[in-house]
Amino acid sequence: MFLTDPFFWEVVISGLLAGVMYSLVALGFVLIFKASGIFNFAQGVLALFAALTLVGFMDGQVPFAHVINEALGTNYHHWYETPGGGDGAPIWFVALSIAATTAVMILLAWLVVKVVLKPLVNQEGIILFMATIGLAFVLEGVGDLMWGANIKVLDIGLPSGPSDWIIDQTGMFVNKLEISAAVVAVILVVSLTLFSQYTKMGRALRAVADDHQAALSVGISLETIWWIVWSVAGIVALVAGIMWGASSGVQFSLSLIALKALPVLMLGGFTSIPGAIIGGLIIGVGEKLFEFYIGPMIGGATENWFAYVLALGFLLFRPQGLFGERIIERI
Amino acid sequence: MLYREAGDFKTTYRSDQQTFPIKSERFLFWAVIALVALAVPFFINDYLEKAVLIPFLVYAMAALGLNILIGYCGQVSLGTGGFMAVGAYATYKLMTGFEWMPMPVIIILAGFITASVGIVFGLPSLRIKGFYLAVATLASQFFLVWLFNKVPWFYNHSATGQITAPPREFLGFTLTGANAEPYATYLFCLGFVFVFAWVARNLTRGRIGRQWMAIRDMDIAAEIIGVNPLMSKLSAFAVSSFYIGIAGALYFSVWTGAAEVTEAFGIDKSFDVLFMIIIGGLGSILGSLIGAAFIVLLPVLMTNIFARWLGMSTEIAEHMQITIVGVLIIFFLIKEPHGIAALWRTIKEKLRLWPFPH
Amino acid sequence: MTLVDTLPAGQREVLLEVDNISLSFGGVKAISNISFDIRVGEIRAIIGPNGAGKTSMLNVINGFYHPQEGTITFEGVPRKRMRPHHAATHGIARTFQNIALFRGMSTLDNIMTGRGTLMKRNLLWQALWTGPAEAEEIEHREAVEKIIDFLEIQHIRKTPVGRLPYGLQKRVELGRALAAEPRLLLLDEPMAGMNREEKEDMSRFIIDVNTQFGTTIALIEHDMGVVMDLSDRVVVLDYGKKIGDGPPEEVRNNQDVIDAYLGVPHE
Repeated sequence: MFLTDPFFWEVVISGLLAGVMYSLVALGFVLIFKASGIFNFAQGVLALFAALTLVGFMDGQVPFAHVINEALGTNYHHWYETPGGGDGAPIWFVALSIAATTAVMILLAWLVVKVVLKPLVNQEGIILFMATIGLAFVLEGVGDLMWGANIKVLDIGLPSGPSDWIIDQTGMFVNKLEISAAVVAVILVVSLTLFSQYTKMGRALRAVADDHQAALSVGISLETIWWIVWSVAGIVALVAGIMWGASSGVQFSLSLIALKALPVLMLGGFTSIPGAIIGGLIIGVGEKLFEFYIGPMIGGATENWFAYVLALGFLLFRPQGLFGERIIERI
Repeated sequence: MLYREAGDFKTTYRSDQQTFPIKSERFLFWAVIALVALAVPFFINDYLEKAVLIPFLVYAMAALGLNILIGYCGQVSLGTGGFMAVGAYATYKLMTGFEWMPMPVIIILAGFITASVGIVFGLPSLRIKGFYLAVATLASQFFLVWLFNKVPWFYNHSATGQITAPPREFLGFTLTGANAEPYATYLFCLGFVFVFAWVARNLTRGRIGRQWMAIRDMDIAAEIIGVNPLMSKLSAFAVSSFYIGIAGALYFSVWTGAAEVTEAFGIDKSFDVLFMIIIGGLGSILGSLIGAAFIVLLPVLMTNIFARWLGMSTEIAEHMQITIVGVLIIFFLIKEPHGIAALWRTIKEKLRLWPFPH
Repeated sequence: MTLVDTLPAGQREVLLEVDNISLSFGGVKAISNISFDIRVGEIRAIIGPNGAGKTSMLNVINGFYHPQEGTITFEGVPRKRMRPHHAATHGIARTFQNIALFRGMSTLDNIMTGRGTLMKRNLLWQALWTGPAEAEEIEHREAVEKIIDFLEIQHIRKTPVGRLPYGLQKRVELGRALAAEPRLLLLDEPMAGMNREEKEDMSRFIIDVNTQFGTTIALIEHDMGVVMDLSDRVVVLDYGKKIGDGPPEEVRNNQDVIDAYLGVPHE
């Protein structure tokens, strides 16, 4: 019986923890799609950019250093040394770096709204979608030019390694980092829900999501709303970037987590926050189990496509997704 | 004088619906064709062939295909790379399995094989719309690449997992392999692009093209006035994949001569072709060609500017290039969401009215 | 003039029979137990206050919605779970309340698309163009040009429909429906939002379509003057129920109809 097989539960737990990460990225998509109808393809690169920036601040790197050095023949590297040296940075410094990165993400959100979205207001969804692909390219290029394209280590002092306590209790290997990622994700989801339910700004966001025109007519500024959602999405991206970067380093492949979040969106619906979370967990567990039990029979590495096929199959039977309402078409 | 309509009256519906309704435009078109078909082969060299002309022609083919699906039928697909892979692997299997088969036949067959795969992956479009469909097409992208990677039959169990095109001749000209002549490969690809650009034009100006556009513009109304959504969408997927399959076939056999699926037909291929049709113009044959030229030439140009003239390292040049492509995409979407082709149309309108703009 | 045309509308052959139709979305009943018929060559008006289920009724007739109960019989053949494009190929054409033209296409292409159900050349012929496909295209272009002449829209033939004023768009939409040479034409508020002059033009076109082409017409309209002038028979809906059916003058004096329009509260 596989339910008593510790491997099964280990796979399920690692699936759940991976699923939490997918949910986190999917959440960023959902926030922007709900409030502006924009399918933000740049969400993954946003996470990469955030992680790169955070590493840059923590290491005291000079932005664009290698470009400047090459153009002017100078030799800039660092503004300052990381306090604490090799034993890990002190908590105040980590907090300061995260705050600075958050500020950068908010500034970036403002720039995106002013430069990209505002001139494209009232364009069709597909045009905006493509604009975010362009944005993804710009962020990727600028991120690399600013901080260099080499793989970076991100260590903000989160616990890592297998949890001894869990090994003692159950014999399963579960990484502490993944547990902390899950905890952070849960905190983030709860605070986002509280924000959108109980603050004035949150209500305005939901108003815009329901009906742009109506929201405008009662004096909610679309631009401000967009700025806020893109900022929030940027912060969510930062969290995703930190978690992902802490476990596998900060490099270009980090932006590919966006591709893992897309099937989650299909499954959970583009506008549903609970959908993003449940969908992420289903996909995480589903792909890990499939890879563990079926993968070896068909050559492995099925994680790349299984999530998509799962979501696709599901959608064929329920086109409105997990939590979407049935659409009544009108003419 | 360019674009003078005066005196160029249309007396039949036939002449009213021709591709280039204005005499001087027809003249210009045939002059360009004569130049590229008759003059270019005399000064083509390896660099021009492998870095500029063949890439342009291959991507033009893919862009034509994707534009039929997205620009005309409105079904967003991100599976282009996967379908190019189908074309390439079909070509490889046909070339190695049937050595007597002439190259043009192989390429066309590869197109048909890709078309049938395209129909299968197009089936979800009947239930799923918009962005959901765009994401769903990624399933085909990832699944197909995985399949060609994992099933050794597709690459004839070669140790490297690569596919390599054996040398083949057609009418005495070597088209594939190390000894292929630049002018021969160029004319071979040019022939395909010329014929299939014309076919695309024919398909899009008739009943089927109008039905595609009707689905794109308002699918519910289209169905109510008699457009069969099943036939329209699947035919768009089939035709589109046919073109993209041919592009993949030419990419592998004539251009690179060898391919490894994850490297050659990854998701970045899908995006490259998507950018071509956005920048060139959605729903425009000419736009597909312009877009392909633009995206192929841009890196060539930038490598020359940044790496050769300004002496930057290739790494920085590459990142500059990514940034600039991104900026250009956003810029074009803001300035002219309908692409360079629309810009060209506006210029033509102005020329026709010149010097009296009202 | 044939014998059919001289008979009063109520005695002609039945073209479409709506029998005991009920339609609901989730728990909401849009139409309940409605029956009426449309007879060959007549102009049949469907009227009623907002939300009475008029558009839903048209959607049922051309297969866009599938009713939970009841049958639609068109030309003697009962239609169950028919798809909208089948309705179109069988001779039911339609215009829409909110203009549903193909915005990316010209007037000519919009009307030619309406002709699609009559065109037969397959994909391969179309790919070659020269020959049968082109001949077919020209043949149908001639028919479409007649419609363009009829609707007096020659000057906007090649204009993208998105650029046209509202009244002309409505006219192009009528042209697109006519192009299919329908035997039953469904018009959903063809005159909504028009000024008086445009309404007169549109009324003239509707009458001409009916008399010159002999097309049977079912139309939804709010302007009572227009309805009374144009239609042979009127069916009145309110809250998804039929409350009146008959010639205009009879319906006008029906107490239920007067109540529905004047807003007598429902018990």
